[in-house]
Amino acid sequence: MQTFDRIKELAIKELSLDPGKLDPNAPLADLGVDSLTFIEFMFKIEDEFGVKVSDEDLRNIKCLADLERHVAASLQSAGKA
Amino acid sequence: MGARRVAVTGIGIISALGINLDEFYRSLAAARSGVQRLPEEVTLGSGVQVGALVAWDPAVHFKGPEAGSLDRVAQFALTAAGQALAASGLDPATADRNRLGVYWGTGMGGAHTLEGAYKSVYGKNDFRLRPLSVVMAMSNAAGSNVAVKWGLRGPFANFSTACSSSAMAIGEAMHAILAGRADAMIAGGSEALLVPGMLAAWQALRTLSPADAGDAAASCKPFDKRRGGLVLGEGAAALVLEEESHARARGATIHAFLTGYGNTCDAAHMSKPDRDGQVRAMTQALAESGLRPDAIGYINAHGTATIVGDAVECEAIRAVFGNSETPVSSTKSMHGHLLGGAGALELAAALMPFKEGVIPPTANLEQPDPACAVRHVARVAQRGVIPRAVMSNSFAFGGSNVVLIAERP
Repeated sequence: MQTFDRIKELAIKELSLDPGKLDPNAPLADLGVDSLTFIEFMFKIEDEFGVKVSDEDLRNIKCLADLERHVAASLQSAGKA
Repeated sequence: MGARRVAVTGIGIISALGINLDEFYRSLAAARSGVQRLPEEVTLGSGVQVGALVAWDPAVHFKGPEAGSLDRVAQFALTAAGQALAASGLDPATADRNRLGVYWGTGMGGAHTLEGAYKSVYGKNDFRLRPLSVVMAMSNAAGSNVAVKWGLRGPFANFSTACSSSAMAIGEAMHAILAGRADAMIAGGSEALLVPGMLAAWQALRTLSPADAGDAAASCKPFDKRRGGLVLGEGAAALVLEEESHARARGATIHAFLTGYGNTCDAAHMSKPDRDGQVRAMTQALAESGLRPDAIGYINAHGTATIVGDAVECEAIRAVFGNSETPVSSTKSMHGHLLGGAGALELAAALMPFKEGVIPPTANLEQPDPACAVRHVARVAQRGVIPRAVMSNSFAFGGSNVVLIAERP
């Protein structure tokens, strides 16, 4: 499965997002994801992909597309992709 | 206009005796015990043998990922509060939510979450904990989740006074309504600490009963010569308390009026029960209700089944009630000791005669201890009695004594 599909699947499950309205570029806050839920979601992303999301990364991830870019880059630098 | 009165208009229950009020009352009436041998994965090396576990599947009560962000103690709280609200017919969506509040009680808060965190840190040397750990484990999480779920924006408090926590929450909620600070309150408590670390700590106190040799369900024997200590339980009870005219205006069914609340501290010892502190709490509750002792037709005792605790409580009851024929029972013999949730669950048990005409018994009471000489309702429920008023006692480690009095509608 592609990275984004895995992120999307996790987002639907963990954030109860509507698959039909899931816009990769929509700010997560606009999708109803509050900061606490977002941090918990990042924890699960770290588990799922075996990557690290630093505090600084957190500040730069505003939407699922940002997240996909971060995960893909982390996997690449770790030689996992 | 008469004085304000506080009505009980809804009750929700999560216990080893059932996960709604009807199941709970049916079990109490049949003297059925929810105590069982605890599974190995719950006890591990703690040495604890029995407990009153709730048969609980979060997926039945919560949708999607919701349960995963709630400690078991908050899951119990939300489910009990939902039942109580539904039973009361009070719909927060159409009420003035600034006038609806939550007072909750819990002894240990999110014990499962804490245990999981310690297991990770000390067991696996893994310090990467879930971001929700703090808000799941904190003591006020259960009550706060109830407030958030229904948008209850009035008074809020979390009481953590060990075994009197939820009784205190109910007494204080009653006073908040009497003081005009709220139209209605969800009040109650929950506890969920049947995890190996907590069990080991309790076992170290040497106050837990071992399993009965013949029947694990009969391990808790309050007031009996053979009693060997308390049996831990888990669960929740929530009551909707409502100012009388508010309840009547919407045609609500009134199960009882809460009319007396006693709150004292022994200020003497961390764990040793004190007759004087208990007497003062019972006397205070009676004074507030304006009732004489002989108006009380049933006492749901604290009755944990410890050697000293039961004897001291019976002495205190005799000091207040004389050698009266007031029926006394300890329903902990069946649902175990819910600690922070005990007072609320036992007030619900104490209200049972109003609804059913049945006084729940002390199960397993076969050989009454002469040191516990009161009028016991032993082994079998007493039927056909609707008392004018009932009393529920909750006495806690730390010396806190809370007594609640309710009157039939």
